[in-house]
Amino acid sequence: MRYIAGFIVILLAGVPYMLGPAVEQPLVTLFSLVAMASWWNLLAGFTGLTSFGQQAYLGVGAYGLYVLALAGIDPFVAIPLAAVLAGVVALPVSFPVLRLSGGHFAVATWVLAEIFRLSVTLSPAIGGNTGVSLPGISGYLPLLRQAVVYWWALAIAAGSVLAVWLLARGRYGLAARAVGDDPVTAASSGIRVARIRRWAYCLAAAGTGAVGALLFTHTLYVQPGSIFGVQYSVLMMFMVLIGGLGTIEGPVAGALIFFALQQTLAAHGPWYLVLLGAVAVAVTLFAPRGLWGHLGRPLFPIAHLQER
Amino acid sequence: MNVLELDRITKRFGRVTVADELTLSVRQGDAVGVVGPNGAGKTSLFGMISGDLRPDAGEVRFDGHRVTLLDPSVRCRLGIGRTYQVPRPFLGLSVFENTLVAAQQGARTRGRASYALAARVLGETGLADLAGRPAAQLGLLQRKRLELARALATRPKLLLLDEVAGGLTDPEVTELVALITAAREREGLAVLWIEHVVRALTATVDRLICLAGGRIIGDGGPLEVLASPAVKEVFLGTADALTEAEDRDA
Ligand SMILES: Nc1ncnc2c1ncn2[C@@H]1O[C@H](COP(=O)(O)OP(=O)(O)OP(=O)(O)O)[C@@H](O)[C@H]1O
Ligand SMILES: [Mg+2]
Repeated sequence: MRYIAGFIVILLAGVPYMLGPAVEQPLVTLFSLVAMASWWNLLAGFTGLTSFGQQAYLGVGAYGLYVLALAGIDPFVAIPLAAVLAGVVALPVSFPVLRLSGGHFAVATWVLAEIFRLSVTLSPAIGGNTGVSLPGISGYLPLLRQAVVYWWALAIAAGSVLAVWLLARGRYGLAARAVGDDPVTAASSGIRVARIRRWAYCLAAAGTGAVGALLFTHTLYVQPGSIFGVQYSVLMMFMVLIGGLGTIEGPVAGALIFFALQQTLAAHGPWYLVLLGAVAVAVTLFAPRGLWGHLGRPLFPIAHLQER
Repeated sequence: MNVLELDRITKRFGRVTVADELTLSVRQGDAVGVVGPNGAGKTSLFGMISGDLRPDAGEVRFDGHRVTLLDPSVRCRLGIGRTYQVPRPFLGLSVFENTLVAAQQGARTRGRASYALAARVLGETGLADLAGRPAAQLGLLQRKRLELARALATRPKLLLLDEVAGGLTDPEVTELVALITAAREREGLAVLWIEHVVRALTATVDRLICLAGGRIIGDGGPLEVLASPAVKEVFLGTADALTEAEDRDA
């Protein structure tokens, strides 16, 4: 089954040649959702850190890309640099926020994202409240630009799922899951809880930063009011919870479900939001482990089995 | 040589004093039983040794290190393994993974060695058949075994057992005593064992301390401590009945 997943990724890579921008555009959205949800799941699903402030790193990724592109680096080359930047920015931030846990952590991350948003709003050098458009991109013909954005989106989504899987199934992931379950027992079992959480926080920030940069190359315009919006964290939580918290497939399934709902129902305005809410409630009540948690067998297992 | 030294540690919760300038040393390889009435501060004492609780005053030394202010994870890696009186397994992990993570992080083993250590400990604690089960599905007694397995998997020099025998049948107590004795002989580990099931203690330990009101009111050979008037006086209810049973046996 895992090979099928790889095969699907290869097929998807051919979309720009076969189907063109009309299909590319919505898929970029889907891929960015998959990546965002996967990183949020590393935090909340595995490490027990429910963040409401991941939009901070979408913003850092996007504005980081702006600064790098302004400095003359090709925006597409700068995407990974923007991701690294988000991870680095997260390091000092992690010290105050990781002193908190549970609901306090969630609120603190949100407040922090608001501080980031305000700082950008108050900085005319990076466009202030009006936002900025992406420099250095006009050299690309629109068709090629859209294709490259698409490939980047696919690479970031597939890379994020793979990276979170590799992390989760290894030595680090086992310790992270233990920390998520019970930090007290974890510490007295020799797990350096703070270090495990810090890594999760910074890696998730880097992954989310890559998505922020990607979204900027997709929309070509970024505004603090939208990129730093808390709705992104709500969305990440929605996708991961309905898909299956703490599984590799869950965020992918959640992203697909959300994407399908959005594509089919967005035209119906507010009813679409009501339906999203209803889905979330139904899943939490009837399938608390998420749809994949109840229906699927893991394609990307993370369990450690005793050797016989 | 002393593996553990508590030097005049004091700890208060509001008006409750759980440790009152308490001084105690445990030698390498010693097995020391801890008894005391409910609320005497036994579990709190373990908390200050393992690092979950910070004393208000005094010093904790372990294996030559001053550990008073060190994180529990560091103390575990130095060789302090503990169980919790109310078991707190990693509920989302399997029984095997619970033990494996302790072997990897506490005992700092890797790869095959960590798998082998976890498997061995599960065998010793009688959990081998449950290895693949989610810990959330275990009953209380199995969870207590898992506490022991997790603590042993960190390969401690000092093992802190907090009421692991409660609720066990007589043959199970015998099994547990054998297991701990075997671990002591093999690894030379020191044991501090809080237990209301006095029979398990007297079969294992060479020394018994009795705690009450944050002070040590009895310290010495198990039977001698249980027979002392000061110790008899503080015991009420269940523990009293046990002491009496012990007296009848004697
Ligand atoms: N975190 C805490 N906050 C406030 N009070 C506490 C805390 N932990 C323990 N206590 C109080 O300290 C006293 C000693 O508790 P402790 O758990 O150490 O007793 P114990 O000797 O282990 O008792 P038992 O035999 O019932 O397990 C009790 O009165 C308890 O209520
Ligand atoms: Mg206790």
